[in-house]
Amino acid sequence: MRRFLDRLYLASAVAGAVCLASIAVVMLLQAGMREAGLLLRGADDIVSWLCAASAFLALGYTFRSGELIRVSLLLEQLPPRSRRPAETACLVAALLVVGYATWAVAGFVYESWQLGEVAQGLLQIPIWIPQASLVLGLAVFLVAVIDELVQHLAGGKTAYQAAHDARRAAADFSSEL
Amino acid sequence: MSTLAVAAVLIVLLFVLLAGGLWIAMAMSVVGWFGLQFFTNSPPEASLFQSFWGATASWTLAALPLFVWMGEILFRTKLSEEMFEGLSPWLGWLPGRLMHVNIIGCGIFAAVSGSSAATCATIGKVALPELRKRGYDEKMSLGSLCGAGTLGLLIPPSIIMIVYAVAAEVSILKMFVAGVLPGVLLIALFSGCIAVWALVSRGKVPPPEPGMTWRERLRRSRNLIPTVLLITFVMSMMFTGYATATEAAAVGVLGSLAIAGWSGSLSWATFRASLMGATRLSCMILFILAGAAFMSSCMAFTGVPRALAEWVASLHMHTYGLLAVLSVIYVLLGMVIDGISMIVLTMTIVLPMVQAAGLDLIWFGIFIVILVEIAQITPPVGFNLFVLQTMSGRDINYVARASIPFFFMMLLALAAIVAFPGLATWLPDALLGATRS
Repeated sequence: MRRFLDRLYLASAVAGAVCLASIAVVMLLQAGMREAGLLLRGADDIVSWLCAASAFLALGYTFRSGELIRVSLLLEQLPPRSRRPAETACLVAALLVVGYATWAVAGFVYESWQLGEVAQGLLQIPIWIPQASLVLGLAVFLVAVIDELVQHLAGGKTAYQAAHDARRAAADFSSEL
Repeated sequence: MSTLAVAAVLIVLLFVLLAGGLWIAMAMSVVGWFGLQFFTNSPPEASLFQSFWGATASWTLAALPLFVWMGEILFRTKLSEEMFEGLSPWLGWLPGRLMHVNIIGCGIFAAVSGSSAATCATIGKVALPELRKRGYDEKMSLGSLCGAGTLGLLIPPSIIMIVYAVAAEVSILKMFVAGVLPGVLLIALFSGCIAVWALVSRGKVPPPEPGMTWRERLRRSRNLIPTVLLITFVMSMMFTGYATATEAAAVGVLGSLAIAGWSGSLSWATFRASLMGATRLSCMILFILAGAAFMSSCMAFTGVPRALAEWVASLHMHTYGLLAVLSVIYVLLGMVIDGISMIVLTMTIVLPMVQAAGLDLIWFGIFIVILVEIAQITPPVGFNLFVLQTMSGRDINYVARASIPFFFMMLLALAAIVAFPGLATWLPDALLGATRS
């Protein structure tokens, strides 16, 4: 189970990374073809869809590596005894937010699939295809939040906390701007 | 309930959630949902979907992940060694000598990276031990690195400028161009600060290095040439209006891969690490933008920003008064939260006020980026402080005290762009045409 979940987050993030790299490829192709007097049809649409997909598909993995920003200043001041319930409250709130977002987004994408809505723009494909990346990414994110909550309630250290502590220990600030 | 009361409820809720440690994008989403659910008739789930999709599926925003990736690639090359070796032969004649490598090195790295912490870390990694070895004053060295690292935010490409441009709906290119002169001004102020310090405390600067022939100097700097060419190429593509920011970013990625390959630091492992690092970082930022878009849509429905703007306008504050109040608020906010959150959390509310006061949004963008730079070096939360703290082994208060002179230089730069707005607006208008919104 553990191995399956870790692979799920990683696979989703790798898909996001491929989307990110594809943005560069499509942009370069478009620029190259323009120089040659050709037009890459719908490149702008593809780039914007890839941009959304790269972000959402990587959410679960980024969350677990502790790189989603939060204000931990007050939390870190708390004594360990009251820090645990505070962390539980945060994770439960996260569960509600991500659960709600997944439900809301899935509902709309399902509707557009049912109605057969088509993308506005040069590429007239069903819009649910690019939008599915949001549903998929949020669903993986939801699984990751549940995973962390279970881990936390079982008394263990969450993956995001462990990753955060490890980065601080290694003086790695590459995840900050 | 009056709109101002609604505003108060939403702002208090936001602060409670943020202080409680909820992830920032989620905290904004909760506020968005709460406001729409209880103060409007608009279904929150529709707004959430439109905001999440609309905010991230954006062609202009695609420049952000690419510029992040470009910085991540160059961060993993030998650029930091090359920077010290290449710059030090040229700067020894200045009062303060090699200390200026910190400033100029950060200035150059800032032109390939959009991040302050990365700039600070890259230059500091080699410059800090080298300067210490040569007997330079550690405090001044730390302070100058801390200050100059923030140039990553002001000198294009800049991640924070893309975030601002998206939030304020202004052109990314114009923001980039607008950052150039203030960036040069800050470099001059930082270098000037070192020079003045060196002149008044003569004994603290070690003797000059042995002289070098021009040939030798050029030989030492040759490794910097590809990077400088890349910067020149990417910038000129954007600033002549030949390419968009997204296209330039794609070329930048290709160029940095070529540089990494040429210098022998490109392997499958570093490629993968740079790509995954960029994916995580841009995921974090885009998720915040999605949450912010949702909160903004709620704000727009409730009319809070307009009501607050009217309220501020009714106070008949002078523009300078408004800017002074905003500066204080941002410096205080910057002590506890990071720059990106600072911008996206406040933009929906602040922009209508700024527009009502008749300020140019490009100019205000530069103003706010300098404030975010200041936030990077103010404790308790200032990422440049964290970076240098771990690099030097000194405690954070020592680093913060070392940065005080540079903190004042930034305030001076802020005052300069308030007194001479043309510093920020002249170049973009001259290069890209004056199209005021």
